[in-house]
Order: sequence, then structure tokens, then C-alpha cells
Amino acid sequence: MRLATYLMLVAVSLPAQVTYERIVNQAKEPGSWLTYQGDYGAVRHRELNQINSENVKNLRVEWIYQTGISGAFETVPLVVDGVMYISGGDGTAMALDPRTGRQYWRYKYNMPKDAKLCCGTVNRGLAMLGMRLFLTTPDAHLVAIDARNGKQLWDTEMGDWRKGYGATMAPIAVKNKIIAGVSGGEFGIRGFVDAYDPETGKQAWRFWTVPDKGQPGGDTWLADSWKRGGGATWTTGTFDPQLNTLYWPVGNPGPDLYGESRRGDNLYTCSIIALDPDTGKLKWHFQFTPHDTHDWDANETPMLLDLPWQGQNRKLLFLPNRNGFFYVLDRTNGKFLSGKPFFKQTWANGLDDKGRPILKANTEPSAEGNMQCPGLAGATNWMSPSYNPATKMFYLQIRENCDVFFSAPPTYIEGKPYWGSVFRGVTDDKERGRIRAFDPLTMETKWEFHYDKAPWAGTLSTSGNLIFAGDEDGYFMAFDARSGKLLWKLNTGNRLVTAPITYQIDGRQYVTMPSGSALLTFALPE
Amino acid sequence: MLNSILFAALLLFSPQPPAEDVPKGQAAYRSNCAFCHGLTGLGGRGPNLVSHPKPEDEVKRIVKQGVPGTTMPSFGGFEEDELTALAQFVQHLAGSAPKDQKVTGDAAKGRQVYAKLGCANCHQIGAQGSTYGPELTRIGSARPVHYLEESITTPSNDVPPEYEGVTVATADGRKVQGVRINADPFTVQVRLQNEKLRTFVIGKDAKEVTRNTTSLMPPYKLPKADLDNLAAYLTTLRSDATSGQAKQAEGIK
Repeated sequence: MRLATYLMLVAVSLPAQVTYERIVNQAKEPGSWLTYQGDYGAVRHRELNQINSENVKNLRVEWIYQTGISGAFETVPLVVDGVMYISGGDGTAMALDPRTGRQYWRYKYNMPKDAKLCCGTVNRGLAMLGMRLFLTTPDAHLVAIDARNGKQLWDTEMGDWRKGYGATMAPIAVKNKIIAGVSGGEFGIRGFVDAYDPETGKQAWRFWTVPDKGQPGGDTWLADSWKRGGGATWTTGTFDPQLNTLYWPVGNPGPDLYGESRRGDNLYTCSIIALDPDTGKLKWHFQFTPHDTHDWDANETPMLLDLPWQGQNRKLLFLPNRNGFFYVLDRTNGKFLSGKPFFKQTWANGLDDKGRPILKANTEPSAEGNMQCPGLAGATNWMSPSYNPATKMFYLQIRENCDVFFSAPPTYIEGKPYWGSVFRGVTDDKERGRIRAFDPLTMETKWEFHYDKAPWAGTLSTSGNLIFAGDEDGYFMAFDARSGKLLWKLNTGNRLVTAPITYQIDGRQYVTMPSGSALLTFALPE
Repeated sequence: MLNSILFAALLLFSPQPPAEDVPKGQAAYRSNCAFCHGLTGLGGRGPNLVSHPKPEDEVKRIVKQGVPGTTMPSFGGFEEDELTALAQFVQHLAGSAPKDQKVTGDAAKGRQVYAKLGCANCHQIGAQGSTYGPELTRIGSARPVHYLEESITTPSNDVPPEYEGVTVATADGRKVQGVRINADPFTVQVRLQNEKLRTFVIGKDAKEVTRNTTSLMPPYKLPKADLDNLAAYLTTLRSDATSGQAKQAEGIK
């Protein structure tokens, strides 16, 4: 009895914890932001409407937190039980008060001084489970941090930086595991998705995104090219708790722009893979760009929505691909349902009934250079789209760009760039961009807003009939979700390169967006 | 004459790259350099690389660091072996390139043409002239002759992005032209012909902003002698005004 009372008291006085059930039921607590995409399906829509299309014109900066960290600030904050957690690009994590921006603690990963980083110092955010935060580091480690004081609990190497591995992605917590991926697709790595025990940091399973010879898919690689076949997992996948399935996007094959040495479809590069989160076993896969030679990886957001498809309610997966096509799959089995271009593309005469591109002639990179659209960075990229169930519109940031693709046989040297050509071509063509609202089932455009340059920022939808988005000129903007009318904007002074979030504390709604090395948080005047 | 002897000597004594490295340097050259310097190195928006070839180490240094005060950026991403292959390919081009176009005009007369046409109303040489158009202080070493002639007769053939023109329909009903320095979805930053800097806010002081499809510089149909003389004058403009800047950038005052 006394023990039970004691335990109850301890339980009451402990700070609340992020549990798997809480993340599954994120919609029931719209005031918090528990996981990278805001929800397991990456829909990025919040039922918060204190800030709405009527009053957003009064939105103003509530606080600014200066990280002092240079480089692209790509974090997506978590907001849990009255504390905000963010990451910096260089292996830093910080806990802040989400109402004032005041700092509680700051953690810094001790990076080896001699580490050569494949993919720079960039980080997209944290995962949280229990009272622990999980951070990937530029040298491809995964660390656990105590959310109460910023102390490091364990440090596990996912891949060796000497072999070209790095990490920039935000991990996710699924059940009792932390799922993480790696960067290095331009450095001749062999990619994988990993699961780790949150208590110990011990690896629970690994799925190689490039199969070994003799494994299924191993025959889609010429000779031993699979050993340095790329297939990075540098963005965060989505999860369906009912189907108990992880959907992970896989990167480009290596060398990027030279395909002769890796003839074949090069599975599972440029694919979405459906994995069992308990075992890491492959349930199905769908390859968007077989034998890619334009760096059109599939590391875009696989959004999960249940919508009527041709009159029948179905569990769908939507992926706006770097290659210029917008795909709809049945996520129970990976069946291809639809794929239509959402931007000018010059390389395919559409897709066949299985979703495989019907290639045009002479679209390959060459020694002389071959101009194709979309360009190397794609018609969209890792920036998150969003979907509003009230307007039934999908909100996508589109990059309008073409490139001249060059190709030359590369020599593989461990840990060195492995592109298959030195650089992408320089052209005078201006990159442009736009946000487009469209019906994801019919692809009918509802509205658009044009940017001067190709964007790298994601979008956020709220039940306040608002879409928040940003551009390369540094404007943070709010649009009427239905009409696309621009309702509010602020020049933040630096290019915007991540997606905004919203949260509510003590009855007040906030919107947060990183810009430069500052975290900006907005609210209505009190 | 002295030049061509030196040129021949360079050809004789410059080490030829190993055959298997040529394609590697060629790929790097074509994807990074050819856009401004031309496929064969004869120049265009950038200088001719083959008329006065530089030593390999110098080429590597320039590629790595860029040239401060010019539009030549630094290309920091190369591995050492790639950089060497690229520098050797540039020298290989110098060995195989056709001779640069001869300058036939009279530079002194060209200077009078420059004055008569009022080029200084838009261009600057040293401290003289206007900042509206591209500076010409060292244009002779920065651009090949064929490019200079083309820039005079048909300037719209190649408009560098930093001198793209823009036309603003102002709120009070005027049409204003200028150099489009910068822009975003809501504003445009313009250098006006009177050298003033001005931002137009769309919807406030601008009704409409249109990007020009042709150069702000009018095409000049000149008698052949005038064109030759003007080109000859421009090729003499080699005063190395930026070397001071380069030294400052390196910390040498």
C-alpha cells in the first residue's frame, strides 16, 4: 500500500513522456508536435484555428532564438508538454521554452576533429520517446539525449564516415524502436534503414536498400556495383499503425550520373519500400525511376491518406517525386494507381500501367552535356507538402528547373565523391518556383502562387483555413487555404529551407519557422 | 610575333597530359568552364583561355579561389587529381586551339569612336563614366575580340544575368527601365540610368514589372572601320584594376 502510494506520487511528479500511443493519437492533442512530420502519415495539418484567415493579418513575431550556428537551419521542432526541442546542423540539440524562446539546456555532440563529412552539417530534427531525444549526427551516429537536462545517454555508430556515410535526417519513434537512415548517396555508400533500441542504442534490425548478390533484387545490379550502389535514406519515412507498415523513401543509385557500370534497374534505389517495423522485413516495394541517371532520388515525403479512389475508400500513399511525376499507390500492397507530371518533364512519354516510365530517346547524361527537365535537384525535393481535409487540397512546393547533365566514368575511392561527372552544368536558365494547391485524386489545380526562385521550404496546413509556406527570398507567408489569397507575409531576411510548425500552449497558438540561424516564433497580439 | 614564338615554345615544352586523363579533365571543363569560356577555350562571357595560356599551378589556383572582383567564382569542390586533370586539359586546349582572331583596327581612333558614341554614358573605364552598364576597365583581358564585337553590334545575343533589364510600369503611369539587380515576388531592385538605386514595391509604386527580353544596350550598326577601331581600343583595356582588389582579399595591402 505504502509502496503503491509512493509509486503513484512519483508517477505524478515525473514530467510527462512521449509514448507510442500518444504519437498514434497526435490528432487528439493538436497543441503539441510529437514527431518530425507532426503525424505518422506526414499530412501536416493541424486542427488549430485561433490564428485564422480572418485575423492572420495581425500575426507578429513573438520571440526570436538565435542559435549562433551557421549553415542551412533545417530543423523541424518538437513541442512536448510545454518544452520545445530543436536541433542545429552541427550535432547540437537545444531545449527552449515555447512561449518565450528562453533556453533550458544545450547539447553538443563531440564530433571527431578529423571527420570528413559527406553531406555537410545539416540536421532536420529530433525524435522523442519516453523522456529521451534521438539525434543523428553529421558523421552518421545516432545519439540519445536525456530530455530533462540535455545529457548524452548513448552514442551508436550507424555508418563509418570514412566510407562516405553521414546523416542529416530526423529519426522517428515507432513502437519501442527508433528508426533512422543515412546520407552519402553521392559517396558510394550502400544504404540502409536501421532500427535501434531506445534504451541501449543496440541495433534491432537493418534493411539494406541495395540487396546483396543472391538476395531478391540482387540481379538488378551489374557485377559487384551493388557494393557502392548508393540508395541513401536521408529523409524520414512515414508509418501506418493499423497496417503496421513503415514507408521509407530510398535515394539515388551511385554513381549518380553514370549508369554503364551499374546496368540494371538498381533496386531498391529511387523506390518506396514498405517495411515491417518489428522485423525490418520487406513487405513490398515500388520503384519510381528504374536505373536513374539524373539524381532523381525518391527521398520526397510519402504522405498517407485514406481517400475515395474511383468511388472506393482506399488506403493511399501520395508521393510527389523529384522526377516530375505525382504518384498515387495503394499502400496496402504497393499497387500503382496513378502517376502524372506536375511540372514540365522532358524524359518520359508518361508511365505504363504498372507505373514504369516510358523513356524518350536521348535523355541520358553525356560527355557533351544533355539538357533535361526537371533539373538535378528535381521538380520538388525533401520539403514537406501538406493536405487539408476540409479543402481536400494538397499543397506542394514546386521547383521549376532544368539542367545540363554531364557524364563520365568515375573511379571509386572509399569515402570520396562518386558522382559519375564532376558537377552539374551551369546554365543561364532561371530557376523559378511556385506553391500549387490541387486535388490529389484528379490533380486539378485549384490555385497557385509564383515565387521568383525555386523553393526549398515546406508547407503547413491548419483548420484556421491557412497554408503557411516560405520561399528562397526569405518570405514567410500565409495563404487562404481555399482561395490562395496571400493574407500575410514577413521578409525574414534569409532563405527558408524547412517546414513550419504550429502549437498551442495555455490557450495561445504559435507558429514557428527557422530562418538563417534564428528560430522565429509568431503569435497574435495578446 | 614574339607572342607566337612564346606560344610555340609553350607548346613544345608544356607537358602533355597522359591520354587517359584527357576525358576526365574534358568532362570537368565542359560541365564547369565551357559555359563562359567556350567549348574550345576561345572565350565568350569569360576570357580566352588559350591565347595566353597560364601555367598549370596558376590555373589550379584560379579555379580553386576564383578571381575576386570579377564574375569568375571559386570552384572549391574538386579533388586534387580532378583539378590537375582539368588544368592539364586547359593546357591541352591551348595546344590544339585555332589562333585567336587578329585585331586589325587602330586603337587610338577607336578611342575617338568610344567618345563620339557616348559609351561613357553607360560604361566605366577606371573612374570615368557610368556604373549603369558593365565596367570596361580591363575588358580587353576579360573578353575575346569576337565577343566584344558581337556585344557592340548585337548586344542581345548574350546578356549576363547581372545586367538583365527590367521595365517597371509605375503607379503614376510612367515606364521606367533599369538593370534588374535583385527581385522577389513582391519587389524589384533596379539600377536606373542616372546610377540611382531604387526598389519598386509591386502594388504600391509599381503596377507591373516586366523582364526585358533584349539587352538594355541598343545595337550599334557601325561602319566596319569604326567597329574594328572600337574593338581594337577595347582590347587595349587591360589595366589590371582588380589585382589590387585580389591582393587586398589575400590580406596584402
